[in-house]
Amino acid sequence: MVQARLESLPVIALLAAVGLFLCSLANAMARATLAPTELIYWVGLLIIALPIFFRLSSTKPSYRERLVLVLLLGLALYGVKLVHDSIFFTFSDEFVHAFNAHNIEKYHHLYHFNPAIPTTPYYPGLEGATSALMMLTGMSSYGAGIFVVGAARLTFMTSLFFLFARLSGSARGAGLGVAIYAGTSNFLFWGVQFSYESLSLPLLVVVLMSFVEREEAPPASRSAWAVPIVLGILAIAITHHLSSYALAVIFVALAILYRVMKVERPNPWPFALLAVGVALGWLLIAARSTTGYLFPVLEEAIKAIVKTASGESAPRTLFHQASTTAETVASTPLAARAMALLAVVVLAGIVFVGLRQLWRRRDVRREPLVILFCLGALAFFAALTLRFAPAAWETGNRAGGYFFLGLAFVGIYGAAEFLRRGPNLLRRRVLLTGALGIVLVGGAISGWPWDIQLARPLQATADGHEIDSESLAVAEWAGERLDGSRFAAPEATARTLLTPGGQVAFGGQGPDIEDIVDEPELRSWQLPLLEKHHLPYVVANRRLNSEDTLRGMYFTVKDQYGSALREPGVVHKFARIPVGRIWQGGHISVFNLRDRP
Amino acid sequence: MRGHRDLKLACVAAVLCALVAALVPWEIVRLVAALPLTLFLPGYAIVAAAFGSRELAPPKRLVLSVATSLMALVLGAFVLNIFPFGLRTASWAVLLPLVVIGAARGAALRRKPAARQARRRPAIPRPAPASLAIAAVAILIAGAALVLAQKPLPAKNAVGFSALWMLPTDSREDAVAVGVISNEHDYTSYRLEVSLGKSQSKTYRVHLYPGEEQVYEVDVPPRASGRTHVVATLYRKGRPEHVYRRVNSWLPRQTTFP
Repeated sequence: MVQARLESLPVIALLAAVGLFLCSLANAMARATLAPTELIYWVGLLIIALPIFFRLSSTKPSYRERLVLVLLLGLALYGVKLVHDSIFFTFSDEFVHAFNAHNIEKYHHLYHFNPAIPTTPYYPGLEGATSALMMLTGMSSYGAGIFVVGAARLTFMTSLFFLFARLSGSARGAGLGVAIYAGTSNFLFWGVQFSYESLSLPLLVVVLMSFVEREEAPPASRSAWAVPIVLGILAIAITHHLSSYALAVIFVALAILYRVMKVERPNPWPFALLAVGVALGWLLIAARSTTGYLFPVLEEAIKAIVKTASGESAPRTLFHQASTTAETVASTPLAARAMALLAVVVLAGIVFVGLRQLWRRRDVRREPLVILFCLGALAFFAALTLRFAPAAWETGNRAGGYFFLGLAFVGIYGAAEFLRRGPNLLRRRVLLTGALGIVLVGGAISGWPWDIQLARPLQATADGHEIDSESLAVAEWAGERLDGSRFAAPEATARTLLTPGGQVAFGGQGPDIEDIVDEPELRSWQLPLLEKHHLPYVVANRRLNSEDTLRGMYFTVKDQYGSALREPGVVHKFARIPVGRIWQGGHISVFNLRDRP
Repeated sequence: MRGHRDLKLACVAAVLCALVAALVPWEIVRLVAALPLTLFLPGYAIVAAAFGSRELAPPKRLVLSVATSLMALVLGAFVLNIFPFGLRTASWAVLLPLVVIGAARGAALRRKPAARQARRRPAIPRPAPASLAIAAVAILIAGAALVLAQKPLPAKNAVGFSALWMLPTDSREDAVAVGVISNEHDYTSYRLEVSLGKSQSKTYRVHLYPGEEQVYEVDVPPRASGRTHVVATLYRKGRPEHVYRRVNSWLPRQTTFP
């Protein structure tokens, strides 16, 4: 009786809310620069997830209850991302996409230049959709963006549930499959940031779900299911390059498998043709810059794999900061590393059992999409090895989100084998719930740097008034006083100058702004480069983490982070030209190169 | 669309929501109207048109409606971009109801008359009062979590700072605005000195609460030739000899780089 009550949907929802509050409290304490509060955060995360996992492992819930549980899981974990932010987007890619959304609102057209990632305006799906809500409500990109990404997340959870339920024939398995997917390293934060993949991946799952439903539907209904598939393929092509390529690869592979396996249902080659056509068409007609953006990254990743494999370069140390220029950050504690590695072991175990079960079930392994999912599950572990190659770890991490779809599906059969009828079912349910908890926490640890799992202060209150971090203050000042001016700045400052500053701010290495603002001496090529790119305003920031787009925009906190400085020369070299210094704060100075004697 | 209550309702709702979102000045009211208009109604009508009389389980219909609405927004932005007027409040407020009405008309044509009678409302579960109460508490707690996240908090260990800035007031550049911003934790006093060329200077006493900004407009005397070097220097009250912040400008500014 007590167990039944504890497992009831309202109680589980209440526990999820309590867990979310604990996560919010931990973030609030971190923003208030109080003692470390990670334990509260992780406990909160587990209070959200474990009751849902436990209930999903039961045989009792109806199809609809499982669907609601999956929605609750998606909503509550999306809430964890929302309580991480304050009232601004704070993830590095979010500044870039928010800038695009503001440009659409400002100029009423798509494809306006973005200095941070020039490819992004040519994939305007997310920003276009968000702009509709911005214009119709008057909200900021932050307000509108959280609704659009939230809708996409809920769509993702439910579509994945329907997809798995249809393919596996089990609602219980589908719920557990979605629970396993929550353990992918990109699920908690990366997958719900205001960035194009947060919309395209859910749409990709909707397309796959519609495809599977179409396969099972009577012939008269197939044309109906083709509508979301076609609309989805078109929308994904406009929204995100990698997702559109992934979808094209999936459909081409399906078309080949249908042919090879002599599947009696209609071959999906028209969808394959459409997916390849629109992805290629969009790349060649609208988004040519994508090749210059994506291919060097992939080339570097391949080179890094070869070098690491041949022993030419040392493997990357796991759980360490990739950048060598940024301020030293707290490394991931041993217990957290162990948890992340344990999660991989648990996943490997679930997949091993799941693959064995699938191999035994002739009816299921005759399904081409199931075969693709099995390959995806194996590819996930192959992609994990990319984390050892310095320039390839991000490629591996990003690809993992797609491969994990297959892993989660195979995991259904592993979990089902574990929960077979028999003695000690309750104990086995508890064990599986614990295992899923490890997968969730392990994924969260490996997906986001340990030191920024919790929020940092961007704004604070003092004496009853609001005060801003220096990067935010200079961005707001520029937004108020300099209308759309062109800046060269360290990358973290450049991102805040984009949004909320609304300026055209260049940072990073293309053009090489990084060396101009980071080196203590002025070199002969630097001023001509700034002139060539029409960048009269230069931001000099002495903070060592000013190039770090995840950490560089927050307040410096005594004895914790942000206090390491660059040489004074990074500021003085501009003052010595001499040119006008139009802003001086604690560590940031803004110079105007056209302001001179 | 006679006999198709859901489609008629969707069309009326789309037009009403578009009017409210486009014309009402209050953000929260606009949001309430814009959410169904953008994230549900277009998809609902498109799915209705695609499926006609065919059965589709309500949960799948709901999810497909939201997903297809997202797709319609993405493709709608692409379509609006083709026109010279582009993406505006008015163009969205016209396009989305048009999509809903057009798709609903298509759905009405595709639905068989027999299906009209056969259509029944899905059974809505009625939860027990205790369950409702628990759910209400859960919503309150989740709401509190979100409110807490939006609230800036005192952060004593965060290092505060003051900033000094200077810009010409307009394109004629015959005056400058000099601003002092305090992002310190406490009430702070400063002395601001603005020198104009070699002969003139002005001094201001500045007192700021945290988060406050004070802006001074200083006229730059006209000069027959050359440029006037304007320098603003900020001193904190406790350290009157120590330059705390300094900004400078040569007016009128040049158009070329060094």
